Amino acid sequence: MTPDTREPTQSPAESLQIIAKRVPPPSQVNDALVIGTGVASAVCALGFAITLLLRTPVAVHGTLLALSMLLFAIATRRYFVDRYPDVEAVEPRHVNDDPGGAHADIAEIEPIERRPLLTRVLIACAAILGLGFLAPVSSLGPAPGNQLRVTAWRRGRRVVTSEGRPVRPGDIAPGGVVTAWPEGAIDVENSAIIVLRLTTQPQPPTNLAWVVDSRVVAYSKVCTHAGCPVALYRERDNALFCPCHQSTFDVNRGAVPTFGPAARALPQLPLGVSDSGELMALSDFTAQVGPAFG
Amino acid sequence: MTPLFALLFNTLDERLGLRRPGRKAANKVFPHHWSFLLGEVALFSLIVLIATGVFLTLFYRPSIEMVDYSGSNPLYEGARVPAAFASILRLSEEVPGGLLMRRIHRGASHLFIAATVLHMLRILLTGAFRKPREPNYHIGLLLLALVLAEGFVGYSLPYDSLAGTGIRIAYSELLSFPLIGDRLAFWVFGGLFPTGDVIPRFFVFHVLLIPGLIIAVVSIHLLLVVRQRHTQFPHPGVDGHHLIVGKPLWPWQFSESATLILWVSGLLSAAAVLIPWSDVTLLGPYVPGRVGNQAQPDWFLFWVEGMLRILPPIEIDLPGVTVSGPFIAGVLLPGLIFGALIAYPFIERKVYNLQGEWHVLSNPLEIPLRAAMAIGTFSFVLIVSAAATNDVLSRLVGVPIETVTGFFRLTAVFVPPLLAALLHRYSTRRLARTGLRVAPTEAEADSRFQEPVVTLSAE
Repeated sequence: MTPDTREPTQSPAESLQIIAKRVPPPSQVNDALVIGTGVASAVCALGFAITLLLRTPVAVHGTLLALSMLLFAIATRRYFVDRYPDVEAVEPRHVNDDPGGAHADIAEIEPIERRPLLTRVLIACAAILGLGFLAPVSSLGPAPGNQLRVTAWRRGRRVVTSEGRPVRPGDIAPGGVVTAWPEGAIDVENSAIIVLRLTTQPQPPTNLAWVVDSRVVAYSKVCTHAGCPVALYRERDNALFCPCHQSTFDVNRGAVPTFGPAARALPQLPLGVSDSGELMALSDFTAQVGPAFG
Repeated sequence: MTPLFALLFNTLDERLGLRRPGRKAANKVFPHHWSFLLGEVALFSLIVLIATGVFLTLFYRPSIEMVDYSGSNPLYEGARVPAAFASILRLSEEVPGGLLMRRIHRGASHLFIAATVLHMLRILLTGAFRKPREPNYHIGLLLLALVLAEGFVGYSLPYDSLAGTGIRIAYSELLSFPLIGDRLAFWVFGGLFPTGDVIPRFFVFHVLLIPGLIIAVVSIHLLLVVRQRHTQFPHPGVDGHHLIVGKPLWPWQFSESATLILWVSGLLSAAAVLIPWSDVTLLGPYVPGRVGNQAQPDWFLFWVEGMLRILPPIEIDLPGVTVSGPFIAGVLLPGLIFGALIAYPFIERKVYNLQGEWHVLSNPLEIPLRAAMAIGTFSFVLIVSAAATNDVLSRLVGVPIETVTGFFRLTAVFVPPLLAALLHRYSTRRLARTGLRVAPTEAEADSRFQEPVVTLSAE
């Protein structure tokens, strides 16, 4: 192998301009520290590997992993402190703020003066080409159509619990609440309802024609603010409470919002009783379920 | 150099010409200050995230299909759970080291975001965003947005009950865009919530799309730092406009960075032992229509969550368009805050008629507008973040939720402008007291640090 014969040119910009230098005194303490932490770190790393293979709890192998890296950090630092003089250096920076100065064009080959129309046509076509590439975006999801405006509730559909058991008005004690679904559509998120037996007579704007037993009402469980389940019932003030953003709805008065960021009442489900005495819907909701859109 | 290493290096050097660029890199001078390490902490967290994330990817199942749980956890014996949740249980309980990896990954994500935010604050307060570094500052803001999105998507993947609730709120946020909201939500989620597509898509966002973008943008961010050189704090006796003072990459910056990445990963491992974050076993899987009390996102989205909570009910129905509270609190206001951060470098330059380039950092109290803007923006972000805990506070203090929320509404509206005005007044008077003005050029600003002793030698 021939040695590199290129001239090692060194402009001032390439060599380090040192303004302060301090050579550390030799220290046996430092040597011991490097060796001690280095060896301890290797031991911990081995321990980590072994305890992981032995399926120990995370507290054991995690601690060993942490120790191996922290000890090695100390070893690395002390190694460099011992090996190299501490220097402070300066380096010139290129500053661009000299005023004036002619700027050369980037492209050296100038275009021939011809009709500008061609350039414009080309740019316009490129833009249309680019827009065309966006078409696959529309395949990412179906057209929303009516899906956000309807739920699984239909006339005659029975009200069932999350386990699929039909709900009878008598199943709900005064002050009791039940999360329920349309039969055959359990866990269809936008159809969740909450059925309550109120402790006092409901007032307008509750639709009294949709109240069963003069006390049993059903409201959509999807918050009209951001769509969380309105999961908590506070009996002391007859309120449904959303745990996400604290919207509060008065269940005695058509679930109108009384506090929090929700602006619309929870829609009331047109509720009736089937011939066999089970709760059922009289129709789908007549108001928009869930948060606003578009 | 050991002979073997020297042989290898020479062999490569003859072919690739490594010696000169290598020497240039080794001599690159890095200014020294603890706050310059914040960006490095973010970078090293990213490395830890990629390393642990690859491991997790090998076990995670991106699907919400219900499966029979067959693992060893007695809580879920015989239960049907979403496949994603089941795979998280398996990782945590059956795969040796799986829980450690999950916890380090989660801890590193917190550290990554925290370090990114603090790094941005450092840039903002000290004026490192000034010409010629505005492009890199904007790239940094883009990174912050990507990092927040990545954090949210990652939080969603276990599909536990909190994750599902978070996804539901994100769906509502997309729906809330005027005119295009329903289309947008259906495009991102593939249909009506919760579709089977959401978790597979979030998985691709989390492990491919967003990390790819983050790595690409971080690379550009670092290349620009190398190209434009570092800013530095004023160094009495040194012409900081033309000279960088500090320690060379080899050996000192190398030693410091190597030590720092070991500290970061070591402390993350220690945190994984001490803090059971990422444990979703007790939360249970997401089931539509059910949510526990105290539904909160991760801390880094508290500011958006807080605004959602304290914004009064708003729903404006115009013909064909609805503007709703979730749009204002979740899209418009965060957009305005980001917009203010994007515009600020140009505003400062215009207001104080700043000239030329700026390479030496300054005390924000010497630029009243910057001090006011920083405290106004960040006190607002902190107050609305605190508002995201209004339910917890209400229970802890024993004050009704209505009172707590009212308190935060008032504080969020009045305190930030008040603090901004007070700090503006204070820093203006502070300048006047010393008989100084906001320096329009770096030469004037730098002259306040005595006459340069070390000057630029002929280039």
